[in-house]
Amino acid sequence: MNILKINNLSKTYPNGVKALDDVSIEIENGMFGLLGPNGAGKSSLMRTLATLQEADSGSAILNDNDIFNQPNELRKVLGYLPQEFGVYPRITAEQLLDHMAILKGISKSSERKELVKYYLNKVNLYDKRNKSVKGFSGGMKQRVGIAQALLGNPKLIIVDEPTAGLDPGERNRFYNLLADVGKEVIVILSTHIVDDVRELCTQMAIMNLGQIVFKGAPQTAIDELKGMVYQKIVSREELDNYAKNFSVISNKMVGGLPLIHVLSSTNPGDGFQQVEPNLEDVFFSKINTTNQLV
Amino acid sequence: MFKTFFLTELRYTLKQPMVYIFLGLMALLVFGATSSDNVQIGGSVGNVLRNSPHVVTIYTTVMSLFGLLIATAFFNNAALRDYSSGFNEILFSTPLSKPGFFFGRFFGAVLLSNIPMLGVYLGSIIGSIVAPAAGWIDASRFGPAPLQTFISSYFIFVLPNMFFAGTVIFAMANKWKSTVISFVGSLLIIVGYLVSGTLLSDIDNETIAALTDTFGIRAYSLFSKYFTPIEKNTISPSFTGLLLYNRLIWVALGFGVLLISYFNFSFQQKNKKVKAEKAKEEKEEFSEIQPKVQPIYGSSTEWLHFKSFFKINFLSIVKSTTFRILFIFNLILLVSSLFGGFEYFGLKSYPLTYKVLDDISGSSGIFIIIILVFFSGELIWHDRDNKINEVVDATPHTSFISLIAKALSIVGATTVLYFSFILIGIGYQLLNGYTRIELDVYLLDFLYDKLPIYLVWSGFMIFIQVMVNNKYIGYFISILIIFIWEIVLSVADVQSNMLSIGGGPSLTYSDLNGFGPGVLGKLWFNVYWILFSAVCILLAGILWVRGNSVVLKERIFNARKKIPKTYFRVLTVLFVLWIATAGLVYYNTQVLNPYKSSDQYEEMAVEYEKTYKKYQNVNLPKTTNVKYQIDIFPNERDLKVQAQLTYTNQSQKPIDSLHYTIDEDWNPEFNIPNSKLVFEDENFGYLIYQLSPALQPGESMDIEITTSYITKGFENQTGNTSIVKNGTFINNFSILPTLGYNESIELSDKNKRKKFDLKPKDRMPELEENCSANCMANYLSNGQSDYINVETIISTSSNQIAIAPGSLIKQWEENGRNYYQYKVDHLSQNFYSFISANYEVAKRKWNDVDIEVFYDSKHSVNIEKMLDAVERSLAYYTKNFGPYYHKQCRIIEFPRYANFAQAFPGTMPYSESFGFVIDLEDETDNNVIDAVIAHEMAHQWWAHQVVGANMQGGTMMSESFAEYSSLMTMKSISSSPMKMREFLKYDHDRYLRGRSGETDKELPLYKVENQTYIHYGKGSVILYALQDFIGEDNVNSAMKSFLEEFRYKEPPYPTSLDFMKHLEPQVPDSLKYLITDWFKEITLYDFRMKEAKYEELENGKFNVTLNIEAYKIKADTIGNETKVPVNEWVDLGFFADDDEKDLMFQKRVLINQNEAEFTFQLDSLPAKAAIDPRMIYIDRVYKDNIKSVSLKD
Repeated sequence: MNILKINNLSKTYPNGVKALDDVSIEIENGMFGLLGPNGAGKSSLMRTLATLQEADSGSAILNDNDIFNQPNELRKVLGYLPQEFGVYPRITAEQLLDHMAILKGISKSSERKELVKYYLNKVNLYDKRNKSVKGFSGGMKQRVGIAQALLGNPKLIIVDEPTAGLDPGERNRFYNLLADVGKEVIVILSTHIVDDVRELCTQMAIMNLGQIVFKGAPQTAIDELKGMVYQKIVSREELDNYAKNFSVISNKMVGGLPLIHVLSSTNPGDGFQQVEPNLEDVFFSKINTTNQLV
Repeated sequence: MFKTFFLTELRYTLKQPMVYIFLGLMALLVFGATSSDNVQIGGSVGNVLRNSPHVVTIYTTVMSLFGLLIATAFFNNAALRDYSSGFNEILFSTPLSKPGFFFGRFFGAVLLSNIPMLGVYLGSIIGSIVAPAAGWIDASRFGPAPLQTFISSYFIFVLPNMFFAGTVIFAMANKWKSTVISFVGSLLIIVGYLVSGTLLSDIDNETIAALTDTFGIRAYSLFSKYFTPIEKNTISPSFTGLLLYNRLIWVALGFGVLLISYFNFSFQQKNKKVKAEKAKEEKEEFSEIQPKVQPIYGSSTEWLHFKSFFKINFLSIVKSTTFRILFIFNLILLVSSLFGGFEYFGLKSYPLTYKVLDDISGSSGIFIIIILVFFSGELIWHDRDNKINEVVDATPHTSFISLIAKALSIVGATTVLYFSFILIGIGYQLLNGYTRIELDVYLLDFLYDKLPIYLVWSGFMIFIQVMVNNKYIGYFISILIIFIWEIVLSVADVQSNMLSIGGGPSLTYSDLNGFGPGVLGKLWFNVYWILFSAVCILLAGILWVRGNSVVLKERIFNARKKIPKTYFRVLTVLFVLWIATAGLVYYNTQVLNPYKSSDQYEEMAVEYEKTYKKYQNVNLPKTTNVKYQIDIFPNERDLKVQAQLTYTNQSQKPIDSLHYTIDEDWNPEFNIPNSKLVFEDENFGYLIYQLSPALQPGESMDIEITTSYITKGFENQTGNTSIVKNGTFINNFSILPTLGYNESIELSDKNKRKKFDLKPKDRMPELEENCSANCMANYLSNGQSDYINVETIISTSSNQIAIAPGSLIKQWEENGRNYYQYKVDHLSQNFYSFISANYEVAKRKWNDVDIEVFYDSKHSVNIEKMLDAVERSLAYYTKNFGPYYHKQCRIIEFPRYANFAQAFPGTMPYSESFGFVIDLEDETDNNVIDAVIAHEMAHQWWAHQVVGANMQGGTMMSESFAEYSSLMTMKSISSSPMKMREFLKYDHDRYLRGRSGETDKELPLYKVENQTYIHYGKGSVILYALQDFIGEDNVNSAMKSFLEEFRYKEPPYPTSLDFMKHLEPQVPDSLKYLITDWFKEITLYDFRMKEAKYEELENGKFNVTLNIEAYKIKADTIGNETKVPVNEWVDLGFFADDDEKDLMFQKRVLINQNEAEFTFQLDSLPAKAAIDPRMIYIDRVYKDNIKSVSLKD
């Protein structure tokens, strides 16, 4: 069992933005989902865990190994796929993965060959292994990125928005792969697709403005809202009114009219219908604290 | 639509600062050049005004080269602005007119890119006003602003050049939509220019060179090559001749490029070609279980990491378009310089390894620097630019490993480039059937000179890029350091190679002496710089951005935490080693072997002159007898001398003191009987010994000087190339201190002298009819001696032969060294050399004379030709001029640190690169060995048997006569009358080119003041022409009787007027005017064949009618010309062939009108008709003397 303990992590950028504000979580083996709106500090947290930047204070410890004091020890067991993953021009997929495998300490060339072959197949790129990666489509590049993150024997896999640009089939393939691996290691998955978290993750956290606003199992979060979410289709003109009077957690268009979800411990009446809460409601209820329409 | 785009282009760009910045920059550069005496572009020296039409034109053409950068900026911008802003998709979906858009943009850019070039004229005008006003430069060196030149040079050079460059850049930008490729376009134009330059190395290729040069610069230099100062001050370039054709060709080509690009241009994005995937048959087996792997980390992993990083970086360099394009350009340049590059008389050397290496270094230098600069930035930003940095940074590798792999992969790429060129070089050698391929020389040259440079620069550039952490600022700083740092050093007058990055002594490979005296210093400097580079890389490793910390302060702070202690330990050790090496290098180059910087040297020369000029005319004895004992230690590069000199007072007054100027590299000790050292200036090495009693007129005294040159450690520069391991070559003036004031130390540049408040340098004494005092000294020994006896005992190491002047009297071995005793057979000039090397000797006997060639065993190919040439010269000269007074004629090879041959009494040292390695296998070519040896042999008569007084005209009797004699020996073996024209044209060229560069005054031949273009070029042409008119025997008789009057005669020495007395009786009265025209005045001829028409006669013969123009011109000393009536006997001739080899008919006719017509009846049809077919007269444009014969209509 691997344990990642994050204690009181804080980071303020030179421009004054507080990216991490006293973040503490403990993460064990399995898929861990990190949800949050843009600018919530997800990427800052992930980059910090990937040893790419230092925190101002706090610590992060993986299996008794302090990430900040011995970054190289962490790197040895890290698989990382950043939000933006590019590739070298004029280098083939196989060459690139081979290079990454070497960097991850796979020194035996026979082992490396097997491993690269295995993952190329897993991400469905084996046929294109001798093609220059630069000519790949966005999705293909992302698959190369996934393959490189899984190389070696990582104990901590950090993937930042991994399914962006993948078609649904590829996305499923990837999640299967990740779930396979995720049984024995920690996988931190940051995403803005709420469904992904629900489908995949046993544990999750929601971040907003550098803080962890929720942590726990997705189902627990949903259960917490049970019987408290109501919906109603309203007219556009009335939206502002509803925002004033109710705790509106989301609003989306259905058939051309706004469908609003509100949070309420009692039935607000007025044509509101109680609905089963979903993870999206959890997400919006956690981040939408200022009671503004999102 | 055209108007819209044209005007928007103007409006847009004129609002940007770029136009004004470039305009200001151009103006500033030219202003600086115009108003500073240190800038000499275009050769504004002597009598040429600093804003003369010629100088302004040269500035315009040179700035045209820089203008390329402007063109790139404007045309690239015009083509790509919409793409880089992403506006193209919007813009091109509107209903645009294609021609309006395309040409509007293009011509807008043409107009704009021409504006900054006006800065050239602006700078020139401001300079000519400010510089005299501020007192920087004398007002007399400026003329009125040459408005006509401004206009003509603008339309001849600026506009067409911008237009052509613009078409290429605009087309490439439109095609590839990449700024980098646009820069490649401008590089392509530069390469074209450089390639045409390699063609210019021989007269025969000049026309092609002039036409192929994209900028028209070479066409202009051909146009102006014989300009005299006055013409440089008055003539503006014009659309004529080659310049016109050149401009037409390139403008037409520009239009072609523009049209092709236009038809290629489309608003739609091209569909990318999709290659059909090849169906793969093979089925691969895949395991569903993840293979078990065991990550290992340790030192072996680090090595693996390094290899993998290296491979990725290396591939990304060599596979990049930039690298490939640079490679191809470099290749073009290399091949053209291998196949071009003529040396003398249109001949080439054998492709020796060092010659090929010179071509490779010469053509690749700039490209390698570009690669080092460009890819250091590229690689440092490689991960970040490709957005893979986060992934790579998060892997467990050591940053330093990645960094050093980057640095070394740049080194690897340049090495691959270099070795491919070596392979091409070897291919070229083999292609020429040359098999002495010295792989060791290729390799050692790489290790000594190239690899260290790559290592140093890549490390240093990487350091800059990491420090600055901004790619473009990094580039800017790198380029600044490469180009500006050297200028800063030279302005600060620092010449130490310890500050010139990657600097060290330069190496010149010689077949005799290998890499030469600079090797030791070069190696130490290499160690010093490579350690410096290593320290840079280690520092860069500390500051390297890993992850997201970007602020330098933060990086330094983080470094302290993250970098292991051992890293700092290694850094400290390397730093200490570097400092220690620096100390050692400093000790050797500054303490053991101090040197003077050029400013210090100037100041010293000025001080010396100011302090001791007063002693210039002090009464001194002449040296009348010398005995040397010289020991050469080739391995140690030491030389020890003991000289016993006899001084005789040949003046009318007693001599009470001896003055000496000594060279600081030597340590002379004087043993002068009855003397006392009364003055010693250690700073300038000036000594005065007082004699008591004084040396009375007619009395002699013996003195002894012991001196030595000891090589210590290594020097900042190459070091002494006269005393070397194999091929020591040193003359008597270098060995012994100068008696009295040494005038040759004085500064000679007239503007520098002015700056230091020195009087203009004394001119040579004027030619006098009956001179006495001024004729007591000859120009070789400067009055310090006359004909004397010289005896030498010289020793060297056991594997070398040592040579001194005279016959070998005795030879023995002692203490494992070779000893030789030489004695001159006849009293000689006190002017000779001492030589030692490992030689082969080829011998031949001619009558009583031993002909010997001392040569390096690798250079046997031309030895027989040399022996022939010596023999032929001896035969011709003894028959025509008189006996030879030595018992031996020695040709002695010396290393190529100098490139000349020189005649000393009986011995002729001859540089290895100047004849020994020249390819003479094609017998129809000119034979440079025959020419040079005959010239040096002739000096045995003309310089050593008779030598002119040290006054105007003095060198005519040695150099002109020797060159004439050389021509005559070659005439004696020429198979056809046309063969001699092949030699003569080089002498014509030498004269006409030389007078164009005259800084002071051109004088008539009989008053020549040691001006080489006059005494070699004009002298030989005139004497050759004279023998054509009055006969070879008559000219030779005049020379012979002159020689007989003065041979080995004590002073007074003869003057050119003495020779005239012997010449005049040989010239018939009808031709006496030639003496005036040719010897006493400056006369040029301008002949032109206007028309040559033939008609066939009924008897099968041909009537050919020639229409000719003829002018005779007198020039004054600065080139003002006056036409005088023509009344000349000139040959008219016909060639049977187009190559002008077969002169089928010639007739000498009197031409006494400026236009004349002649008709000849010929048996067969000629191909060409010519005035002066054998090139007897000096005519600046000889080409128009000849015309193909055409049918009369």
